[in-house]
Amino acid sequence: MIRTQSRTSTLIARELKKSYDGFEAVKGVDFEVYRGECYGFLGPNGAGKTTTMKMIYGAVIPTDGELEVAGLDVRRCEREIKRRIGVVPQENNLDDDLKVKENLLVYGRYYDLPRKVALRRAEELLEFVELTERAESPVDQLSGGMKRRLLIARALINDPEIVVLDEPTTGLDPQARHLVWDRLRALAAEGKTLVLTTHYMEEAARLCDRLVIMEGGLIIAQGSPKELIEEHVSPQVLEFRAGPEELERLRPVVEATADAVERTGEALLVFTADADTIMDRVRECGVEVENTVYRHAGLEDVFLRLTGRRLIE
Amino acid sequence: MGAIRVPSPRGAFRVWQRNVTIFRKYWKSIMFPNFIEPLLYLAALGLGLGAFIQQGGINGQSYIQYIAPGLLASNAMFAASFESTFNTFVKFEINKIYDAIITTPVNAEDVVAGEYLWAGTRAALYGTAFLAVLTVLGFAFGEPLISSWWALFIPPALLVIGVMFSVMGTLFTSLIQRIDFYAYYFTLVVTPLFLFSGIFFPVENFPAPVPQIAWFTPLYHAVNLCRALATGPSLATLVDAAWILVFTAGLALVPVQIMRRRLIG
Repeated sequence: MIRTQSRTSTLIARELKKSYDGFEAVKGVDFEVYRGECYGFLGPNGAGKTTTMKMIYGAVIPTDGELEVAGLDVRRCEREIKRRIGVVPQENNLDDDLKVKENLLVYGRYYDLPRKVALRRAEELLEFVELTERAESPVDQLSGGMKRRLLIARALINDPEIVVLDEPTTGLDPQARHLVWDRLRALAAEGKTLVLTTHYMEEAARLCDRLVIMEGGLIIAQGSPKELIEEHVSPQVLEFRAGPEELERLRPVVEATADAVERTGEALLVFTADADTIMDRVRECGVEVENTVYRHAGLEDVFLRLTGRRLIE
Repeated sequence: MGAIRVPSPRGAFRVWQRNVTIFRKYWKSIMFPNFIEPLLYLAALGLGLGAFIQQGGINGQSYIQYIAPGLLASNAMFAASFESTFNTFVKFEINKIYDAIITTPVNAEDVVAGEYLWAGTRAALYGTAFLAVLTVLGFAFGEPLISSWWALFIPPALLVIGVMFSVMGTLFTSLIQRIDFYAYYFTLVVTPLFLFSGIFFPVENFPAPVPQIAWFTPLYHAVNLCRALATGPSLATLVDAAWILVFTAGLALVPVQIMRRRLIG
């Protein structure tokens, strides 16, 4: 039952493209989001994530391709789509002339909510994002984390089917970030479809049922976090730390048995399904290693494998 | 490119409503300057300069009687111009208020239309308060500054005049990238209109082509309209009213399209 429900698509993109004066921000992407799932867009800055989000909520018009949101064509049903989705933008754009609760009430009017309904929902949502005590505060007195929570509450005032969140935790401290994650999981549990962008691997791994990795306007991988790890990297990672010379000597030793080896500034990363064999080889070869870390491979490894270790601006 | 966008009245009303909500909180502290400025002109020019204007005044009116209704029109111009320039720019480019609104069923075109209506409303509110003061002052001076019951139509006229100047101000706003550029608009558009639209002297007395040029400018007709409503209109008043309506309607959709293109990529 739940299975069939979750397999209904609510967001479909086919060969979706956007270019600005010759610059192609999104170069043709395909994705399909099922109802009730949390779907992530992971990627470095400039990968085209925000442009894709903006196409979903109507702030950017696609140059080419198809995009259906809640079963409606974005080019033809702008207002109806916006009525059925909620948006948490990357940039804080709360109404500074209004207090916390007023922000929600005025926003509710844009959706033609009757005053009583808006008032009840505003109070419930302030409770939900733990801002009830700040209901009468001016917005500019809120911390960054509180503003982000208020943005989330605002995106929910119309009880949307789909919530689009563009980097919902960027710039937040760890406490604030965990609170936002907790609230987003609560929304997912309620059955809302969440579409979010992030460049935090941990966030994607914790929240997303499925995700895509974008780079340079293209989707370069997609799947569940687990599938992506299985498909693109080996399950175990050994990180050896030593001086540059030792690392160069160690490299040929491990390369023979490892699935992949990557060199970062001060460490050698070894991907393998059999860490014990590698460890034995390293001990036998006699190269002095300062420090060894053993861990499971994560999304970050997938991400760095696919997008490279160079700095992407 | 896309078709011409026409605002929805519902969306425009919601944007207007937002501005009303905020205005109700601050009106006591922000209305004062707008209100006091025309009184300063009235005192300095009407009473001060007016004392040197020979008896008989202008067209049978004393100087203060002549300029008072014109100041109603210019006050509406200033109120709507500030609203559609600096205030709109801050909401648009600095506070990103419009970016938030257009993710709701209210579209970019509705935002612009709502701002027109709000600028008109503000012009009418200030103008009505000023009209009341002029009426009372007239009694105090013993020479009525407002002498016709037609003056009851001044507030709706100021609403339309406010919308007209909001359309012009929004057009300028839609074309500039930096707030500093408003100096050009106020120095080259608003101030010349204020000085040469027949508020302080009849432009008809100037040699050609000055009166002809004046006929093609908006404040000239707004001044004629307010003066006629304050003293009793004639058939010529209909021409001024029609000019204002045609000019406003003809231009209104232009800033809507440009602003939409700036708000939506």
